[in-house]
Amino acid sequence: MIGNDVVDLKVAALESNWMRLGFLDKVFSEEEQEVILNSENKSQMVWLFWSMKEAAYKIYMQQFGVRIFNPKKLRCERHTENKGLVHFNGHKYATKSEITNDFINTWAYLETSVNALIHCFKITDSSYITQSLAAKQKLLKSFSEIKKVSVTDLEIKSSKNNIPRLFYKGYEQRDSFSIAHHGFYVACAISFFSPILKFNTHPLC
Amino acid sequence: MEKEALIAQLKTIVQPYIQDEEAFNNLSENTDFVKDLKINSANLVDVILDLEEVFDILIENADMEKMLSVKAAMDIVNEKLAAK
Repeated sequence: MIGNDVVDLKVAALESNWMRLGFLDKVFSEEEQEVILNSENKSQMVWLFWSMKEAAYKIYMQQFGVRIFNPKKLRCERHTENKGLVHFNGHKYATKSEITNDFINTWAYLETSVNALIHCFKITDSSYITQSLAAKQKLLKSFSEIKKVSVTDLEIKSSKNNIPRLFYKGYEQRDSFSIAHHGFYVACAISFFSPILKFNTHPLC
Repeated sequence: MEKEALIAQLKTIVQPYIQDEEAFNNLSENTDFVKDLKINSANLVDVILDLEEVFDILIENADMEKMLSVKAAMDIVNEKLAAK
């Protein structure tokens, strides 16, 4: 399973004031706040930790179908500049990030050897609907190219517990994916179920 | 606090963060902050901080956990106001 998040750093600087009284305390543990306040680029560290938490939470949602809003409970550990681990409710999620001056794109994964595909691209229209559509189109295109089937046989629909899933000729597939968009950036992450070229043609229970 | 008045105040609080005008115009108790209003989750923190300021209450992380809808926010605000 895979989860992702993207933060447009320029837009985040305009939209969110993390220096606002109470903000850090609602979102980050004492240890995380210490790392943030001692780092050279504090904003970057805020959004790196944020994106790690979001990406991990998106896997948790796929696993358990439960929505909660408590970012502080997801605990980040930074192992290298762009790799880390998030602990949440007794589960562990490994993360990797692409960190630039313009955006942070993070993906979290459960399996250690994962057939993953990560995309992150910029679009000129920052409206929610356009971005959401662009992300879905990119995702379907990737699925059709990698799985060597027509995009017309593929569809993204919500499963019973409201999680977006891939459907091939009407059947839900086991591949996991995650989409995120913020500001002018769109990101998608896919974790292919093995074997990649085989499709599920039975109802999933 | 009276329901209508509280919804009106909530509406003013969330307005700067919404990304779906139509859902905002039709805001009701059943409106979901994320699914309907498309408020990004970092701004959801701002909504909670704004609620604390406007109503002079303290929202613990355990309360915040459930605050994904207008209804949930109203329940928490009322609960905190009653405990004052």
